[in-house]
Formats: sequence, C-alpha cells, structure tokens
Amino acid sequence: MENTASIGEKDVRAVGATGARTAPGSAAARVTRRPRAGWLALVPFVVVVALFEIMPLLQLALDSVIGRDSGALGLENYVRVFTTPLYQQSIWNSVWISLLSAVVGMVVAFLAARFASEASPRVRNAFTMVLNMMSNFSGVPLAFAFMILMGNAGVLTLVGQQFNIPFLANFNLYGADGLVIMYIYFQIPLATLLLIPAFAGIRKSWREAATILQATSFDYWFRIAIPNLMPSILGTLSVLFSNALAAYATAYALVMNNYALLALQITSRFKGDVQTDAATGGALAMVLIALMVVCTLVNNYFTRRAAKGRELV
Amino acid sequence: MAHKNLAARTAASVQRTSLAGRVFLCVVAAYLLIPFLATLVYSLFVEWTDILPSGFTLRNYQELFTNAVFWASIGRTLVLCLVSVAITIVLILLAMYVVVAVNRKVAPVMQFLCMIPYALQGVILSIGIISLYTGTGTILSNRMFMLFGAYTILVLPYIYQGIRNALNSIDAGMLIQAAEMLGCGRFRAYVQVVLPNILSGILVSSLLAESIIFGDFVLANNIAGTNYQNIQVFLQANMDVSSGLSSAIVVVIFVVVALVTALVLKLQGAAQNNAKEQA
Repeated sequence: MENTASIGEKDVRAVGATGARTAPGSAAARVTRRPRAGWLALVPFVVVVALFEIMPLLQLALDSVIGRDSGALGLENYVRVFTTPLYQQSIWNSVWISLLSAVVGMVVAFLAARFASEASPRVRNAFTMVLNMMSNFSGVPLAFAFMILMGNAGVLTLVGQQFNIPFLANFNLYGADGLVIMYIYFQIPLATLLLIPAFAGIRKSWREAATILQATSFDYWFRIAIPNLMPSILGTLSVLFSNALAAYATAYALVMNNYALLALQITSRFKGDVQTDAATGGALAMVLIALMVVCTLVNNYFTRRAAKGRELV
Repeated sequence: MAHKNLAARTAASVQRTSLAGRVFLCVVAAYLLIPFLATLVYSLFVEWTDILPSGFTLRNYQELFTNAVFWASIGRTLVLCLVSVAITIVLILLAMYVVVAVNRKVAPVMQFLCMIPYALQGVILSIGIISLYTGTGTILSNRMFMLFGAYTILVLPYIYQGIRNALNSIDAGMLIQAAEMLGCGRFRAYVQVVLPNILSGILVSSLLAESIIFGDFVLANNIAGTNYQNIQVFLQANMDVSSGLSSAIVVVIFVVVALVTALVLKLQGAAQNNAKEQA
C-alpha cells in the first residue's frame, strides 16, 4: 500500500515536470485560455452586487446631491438636513441613544465577560447559551415583550403602581427612555459574546505576578488588565454604536415613524404616507452611512491592533 | 509566613469573586430572560391585568395555528430564507472559484464588496433599492425581485465568511493543483474535489443566514410591506389588534430561531472538536 502511494506521488511529480518541460507551447496556451473562461464564474456575483448593492448606494448618493427645490447639483439637501430642527434632533438622538446604550452595554458586558471567564466551565457554558439565545431576541418581538412588561398597562408598570415605585409606575416606554432600555437589552448579549474571547487572552500568571509585587486589585485592573483589553473594548464599542445607529425594527415597532431618530426619519422620507422626499432622505442616509463607515474603520483599526498582540495603548 | 498569607489572600479573593460573579451573571441572565419569559406567560393566560396572570389557556396558540394568514406568512418567510440563501451560496461559490483557481488578486475586492452590507445593514440597503427601482416599470421594479435581491445582499457577509474559512481550512488551491496534475480540469476539480469537502462549513454559515432572514423586519417591511407579508411584518400588523395572538407569534418566532441557533452551536462545537482531534 505504502509503496503504491509513494510511486503514485512520484508519477504525479514526474508528469507535472515533463509536461511543463516538453510541451511549453500547449501548457502556456492552456494557462491563458482557461483563466479567461474562469472569469465567467465571477459574472453572476458581479451582476447581483452591482444591481442590489453598489447601484442602490450610488442612487442614494445621487439623491442627496440633487436639490429638492432647485433640482440643481449641490449641497442644498445637506444644508436643509443640518439646519432643520427635526433632522438635527434625529441625528442628535440617534447619536446619544446609540452612544449611551453602547457604553452601558459595554460596562455590563465587561463585568459579565470577566465573571464568565473566571467561572467554572458549567456556569460559563450555561451563561454563553443564554447569551446566544437572547441575542436573537430583538426587533419587533423585543418591542412587544417590553410593551407587555413596561407599556401603559404593563406588568412592571402595575407592580410599580401597587408598590409605589415611581420609576416603574411612570416609566415612559414610548420615547427616549424606552428606546435606551431596549437598546441596552440587545447590546448586552452581543457585547459579552464579543468580549469573552478577549478575556481568554488574559493570563492568570499576570494576576499572580501583580499580587506578588504588592499590586492592589485596582492596580491590577486599571494598569494591567484593562489597558491590555483596550483594543478589544474599543473595537466592540464601535460595533455596538453602529449596531444601535442602524437599529430600526425595535424603534419602529414601538413608536412607528413618530420619533426623531435617524433610521426612522430616513425610511419615512422614502415610504412616506403623503409624499416621498428622496432628496432629504438621501442626505440623511449619507449622514448615517458616514457615521457607520467611521465606526467600521475604527473597529478595523482596533481589531488589527488586538490581533497584533496587546502591547500598545 | 508572608507566603502563606499571600496564598490565603489570593485564594480568598478568588472565592469572593466567584460568588459575586455568580450573582452578577444570574442578574444579567435574568434581565435577558425576563422579557421573553413574560411574553411566554402572557401567551398562556387569559388575562394579566393584575400582578399575577389568571386563567391558563392554550387558546392563543389554537387560534394562531388555525390562522391561514399565519401559515401563509410562515410559508413566505421560508421561501425567502431558502431561496435567497441558496442564491447567495451559488453566487459566492462561483466567485470563489475565480479567487482560488484563476486569480488570487480578486480576493481583497471580493472581501470588500461582501463586507459592505455588514457595515451598512438593513435600513440603507432597503431604501437604496426602493429609491433606485420603484416605479421604473422594469422587471426590477417588481417588489419580489427587489426583496430577493436585497436578502441575497444582506446575507452576503455571513455566507462569504463561512465559505472563505472553509476553503482556507482545506487549502483549496493546493487541492485543485493536485487534481490538475492528475489531468482533471480546474473547474471540475473545484466542483468534484473542493465542494464536497467544504459542505459542512457552508452548512453552518447558511443556517446562520437563514436565522437572520427569518428575523428580518426592515427589508420585508420597507420593500414588500403588506404586499408580501413575512412573519415579522405579520407580527407587527397584529400587535395593535390582539396582544394574546401577538405573544404567541413572538414565542413561535423565538422557538424557531432558538432551535436553529442551537443547531448552529452544536455543529460549530463538533467542528471545533474535530479540529482539536486532528491537531
């Protein structure tokens, strides 16, 4: 068996070598002819990506620079977006709600990932299971669940009224408070799942070395562990931020289009009840795209840094 | 003496964090589970207008499972999931043939194109497509056509990464070279040698993609809306009408996605174990 295998390998090599040496013309011809036909395999991908990804994006960019009122090429729509209170408010709300939910989600996730990585495998597996399952609980179902819990006749609202807890009794789900609570909810599983692998890179010996060198717990966390995790933390933070910026279903199910939020306002410009306004919508969409692109670049930068070794920051 | 103290202190601190840790993990898990559990309880009782629900019933589920509109929307969702994911898989497999067998230089461009949808997500994608094609009177202004196109793009990043990782893990380029030396054409080698070896890798990423489309509301609502109601749009339309029925829909959606997720995790775990054994 072994013999035939090795002979077979030799044969292959021999054929390859002689093929290349004895018939250079035909080999060259094959090399040039084949790849050209091979390129055809790329055609379906290119067509679909062009039709449904690239051209729609170009269309939005085009919408944004053709003035709604003047019809001329220019920044008219952008000027309107940045000077109209509704749109200013939308951009501002989107940014601060996303940022707040990302930071709070991050703090919870940091502690959860830390404890999960220190816990026994059984506890860690159970907890990761919960994270994986609940990371799917978002969008319209999530909004519905929170309406049952904290809506006008929600269970927790009732509890709040009966036991006199103003935070629960007077909680306004259908506004910024509700959005923040729900956004934090869907950030936590995502952030924790992204951070747990980073904690695996922290070695136990660091803690031991620090303790032996008389470092306090504070020293250890703020001078050793957190600086080390920083690239992962900042990378995850930018993922969370863009995740919240782009969230639509949760907010729409809760307040329809009646809230100044970037994703909601963009969509309602394009499928408005009265009239569509692609010019304004396009400009708003470009603002959202710009924010998302910045997030992606930030994330790429920190991901590369985290992968390179945790020597910096 | 000092050493003993130190050891005791370290041991004690580990013990303490472990208890605090357990409590913290339980609180987080509870925060994550409560909204779903509340919905589950809500769906199983006649009313919940006091602190405790009253009147256990399966009426909501009975009503849901005998509702033809529900089954129609489930059917549409499944068609959207299966067809879009299948299209994306074929597109990427063909394009990856060019990367592994024709010219590697295409790889970064492909990666860039495939990761754009991940960075931009549903809102931008859907309104771009609406803005471009609505009312153009071509076949592309057909809502179904737009929706399938949009889903194909939406799952591009996931399928691409799955297939790329699978191709890397078996060293597809070398396999094709080996097959070529034995007189097999490149494309035939790709189809007959490479593809069978990456099927399990594709499976995991396509299941993930299925669950993403199953959970999609943005694209379905923006592009098709009530013309072609998927399960999420059906839920949204029912929310104001009947909260009992809606809670049952939420539970059904969650259970379906949870089962798919469990399957994905199981397959991933099995793959990791295999890799460990091989190494």
